[in-house]
Amino acid sequence: MAYVSMGEAHRRITEYLNRFCDAVSYQDSSMLCRLLSFSSNSPSLLSLADALNVFQDTSSLINHTPKFSEYGEIIDHLFRSLQSYRVGNLVEAYLAFEKFANSFVQEFRNWESAWALEALYVVCYEVRILAEKADKELTSNGKSPEKLKAAGSLLMKVFGVLAGKGPKRVGALYVTCQLFKTYFKLGTVNLRRSVLRSIETARIVDFEEFPRRDKVLCKFSESLASSFVFNENFPAADTKLSYALQHCNPKRERNIRMILKYLIPVKLSIGIIPKDELLQTYNLPEYMNVVPALRKGDLRLLRHALQEHEDRFLRSGVYLVLEKLELQVYQRLMKKIYIIHKLSDPARAHQLKPEVIAKALRWLEIDMDLDEVECIMTILIYKNLVKGYLAHKSKVVFLSKQDPFPKLNGKPVGS
Amino acid sequence: MNRRSHGSSSSTRSGGGASDSFRRRSDVPRKRNNDNKGGDPDDVSFIVGTCSSMCPERERATRERLRDLAVFERLYGNPTKSSTDLAVKKFCRTLSAADVQASDVRPLPVLEETLTYLLSLLDSREHPFEVVHDFIFDRTRSIRQDLSIQNLASERVIHLYEEIVKFHVISRQRLQSCSGASISPMHHLNMEQLAKTLTTLYNIYDANRKPDYIYENEAEFRSLYVLLHLNTSSGVMGEPLSLWFRQLTSTLIKSKEMCFVRNLLRAYRNGNYKSFLRTTASEATYLQYCISEPHIREMRAFAVECINNVCYKLQPYPLVRLSQNLMMKEKDVESLCQECGLEIRTDSDGCIVLPTKQTNFHSPKEGFKNYDLIGIEIERLL
Repeated sequence: MAYVSMGEAHRRITEYLNRFCDAVSYQDSSMLCRLLSFSSNSPSLLSLADALNVFQDTSSLINHTPKFSEYGEIIDHLFRSLQSYRVGNLVEAYLAFEKFANSFVQEFRNWESAWALEALYVVCYEVRILAEKADKELTSNGKSPEKLKAAGSLLMKVFGVLAGKGPKRVGALYVTCQLFKTYFKLGTVNLRRSVLRSIETARIVDFEEFPRRDKVLCKFSESLASSFVFNENFPAADTKLSYALQHCNPKRERNIRMILKYLIPVKLSIGIIPKDELLQTYNLPEYMNVVPALRKGDLRLLRHALQEHEDRFLRSGVYLVLEKLELQVYQRLMKKIYIIHKLSDPARAHQLKPEVIAKALRWLEIDMDLDEVECIMTILIYKNLVKGYLAHKSKVVFLSKQDPFPKLNGKPVGS
Repeated sequence: MNRRSHGSSSSTRSGGGASDSFRRRSDVPRKRNNDNKGGDPDDVSFIVGTCSSMCPERERATRERLRDLAVFERLYGNPTKSSTDLAVKKFCRTLSAADVQASDVRPLPVLEETLTYLLSLLDSREHPFEVVHDFIFDRTRSIRQDLSIQNLASERVIHLYEEIVKFHVISRQRLQSCSGASISPMHHLNMEQLAKTLTTLYNIYDANRKPDYIYENEAEFRSLYVLLHLNTSSGVMGEPLSLWFRQLTSTLIKSKEMCFVRNLLRAYRNGNYKSFLRTTASEATYLQYCISEPHIREMRAFAVECINNVCYKLQPYPLVRLSQNLMMKEKDVESLCQECGLEIRTDSDGCIVLPTKQTNFHSPKEGFKNYDLIGIEIERLL
C-alpha cells in the first residue's frame, strides 16, 4: 500500500465525492458505474482506498459539506467497504457493501427515471462477486460460508423493486441473471424455482419488449434453461434455449457456445442430432464422440466419450442427462442389425434374437449376458423405442412389420 | 464462560483434524458477548460444556420428580428413581441460546460415552424394538444438539455423526419387522433425522478440508446421499443430483463407493433392472444396501410391469425365471405379483407361471417391507 500524505488523501477523497454527487445530479450513469466497480481494481479506486485508510475521518468531511451530506449514509458504507476490500478483509468488505447496496436501492427507488439502471447492474454484480470472495475467506478460516446466501436475499429484494411497472422493469432481467448465477453456485434449486415463479407472476418474460438486449437475453435464457435441464423439463428447456440461440448475435461465439452446451444434450434427449459442422464451428470437442456414438449405435464409444470428458460434463451438470442416451444407442444398434438382416434374410428380419445382439455387443467389447440383453430389449419395447413383443420361450423378439424403431419425434424417451 | 478467540486459526487449521475441535457452522444458537455491540457478528463465543454425566443433574432431578423417566432410565423399574448410569439427557426442542448453561451441556468425551452406551441398548431384547428405537432416537438427537451448541467439529465428532447415521439406517431395517400404527410415522421421522444428520456430517467433512483429502468413511457416507435421491422427484433432502455432483471433489467422484452408486444411478434411470440388482448384490455395503431397499423394490415392480406388458401372451413367463431375474425367492415373487394385482397360474406341466398382458397391473402400495436380495454378498451388521 502506497504512502499517501494527509493533504493528498483529502484531495483524492474530495475528488471522488464530487464525481459521485455530480454523477447523480447530472444522471451520468456510466460515470457512476466506474465509481462503484470495485472488482475492476481500477487504479483510481485503489488509490482512493489508500487515501481512505490514511484519512479515517471521512464522516465529518462528508457531513460538513452540504453537497456531500445528502448521500452521507450511502457513501459512508461504500467507503468502509472499499477500505476493507483494499486490505483484503473481504468479509467486512461484503458486509459494508451490502449496507451500501441497500441504501443505494432505496435511493434508486426514489429516482423517477431509470437512468441509473446500469449502475444498479454494477452494484448487483459487485454484491455477488464480493459475497463469493467473502465466503472463500470464511471457509479458509474454517467457518461456514453464508454471505452468498445473504447476497441472494438482497438480490431478490432488488428484483422486487424492479419488477413493478415502468421503465425499470428491464432491470429485472439482469437481476435474475445474477440471481441464477448466485443460486447456481449455491446449488439451491428450490430458491431458483421461486425466482422463476416471481418472474412468471411479474410477467416479465415478454421478450419482444427488449429487442436489443441480446446479451442479457442470452444470459437469461441460458440460466433459465439450465435450470429446466436439471429438472429434466426438456420441452421447456428446448423452447427457451432455441429461442436464445435464434436471437443471439452470431458473432458472440462465447454466448452461443454456452447455449449449445445445454441445448445439445437437450436435443439429443429428444432424438435430434446436431450436424458435425456445428460442433466444429463452436469448438465443442466433448460432443465429437457422443454424436457419432448415437448415430452408429456404438455403446462403447458413448461410454468412452462420457468418461473422457467426465469432469467437464459433471461440472456443467449435464452428465446425468447424457448417460440416459444409452437407451437410444441400444435402439440404434438394434436397428442396424435389423437392416443388415433385411438385406441377407428378409423373410426373417423381423425376428431379432438376443443372441445376435449379445454377439454385436461383444464385438464392441461389451460383455453382456443373455439375461441382461433380454432385459434391455424388454425395456426398449416397454418405452416404445422398439415395437414388438418378446417370446421368451422361443428366445426371440418379434418386431412389428411397420415402423419397428419409432423415432422420438421431439419427445424424450419413455414419455 | 470461556471465550474462544476468533482469530485462533493457527491451532485449528490442521485440516485432517488431528486437533480437537475447529470452527464449523455459524447457524447454531450462540451467546453474544455483551460488550461486543455493533462489532463483527462472527466474533461470538461458543459454550464449552461442563456436564460430566450423561444427563445434567438438575434435569435428572426434575424428571424423577415429574415421573418423566423412560423405561431404560428407571432404577429397578422404579418410575421415580434414576441414576447417573441410566439417565440420559433428553432432546429439548425449545432451546434458546439465552437459556443454555455450560453445566447442562456435555463435553465431547461424555458425549462419546453416552453414544456408546445408547448403541449398546440396540441389542436389548427386553423391550420391543419400537421402544428401543424411540429412546435412542431422542437421545441421539440430544447428543447432536450438544455437539452443535458447542460448535464441535473434529475427527472424533465425525465418528459420532457416522455412528448416528448408522443407527438410523439400522433402525430403518428393524422397524420393518415391527407392526402397529405408530411405525409409519416413526419411520418417516427416522428418515427425516437421517437426512439431517447426513447434512451436518457433510458440512463437517467440508469445513477445514485440505485439498484432495477425504476422510476414511467419507466416500461411503456421501454415496448414501445419491441412494436417497435416485428418484429425482423424491425430495428427501431436496436437491437434484446434477447440481450435487458438481460440488464433489475429484477424489470423491473417483472413489469406489461413488462409482458404485453412479453405476446404480445409471441403471436405475435407464430402467435396467438386471444391472441394478446384480450390481447391488455384488458391491453394496450394508449401509448402502439398506438405503437402496425401496429402489430394489421399485425396480422389481418395474421389471414385472415391463415383462407383463411386453411378453408374448401365448408364452406365460415362468416364475422360476422371474425369480432368477429379480434375485428373489419364488414365493416372494408370487407375493410381489399379488401386490401388483397380477395373477399367477400353474400350467399344464405343473410349473408356476405369470400369464402376460394382464390388464390389472398397478404399482405395489408404498410400504417399506422388502424381500430378500438373493445372492447378496454382504455380512449383516447385526
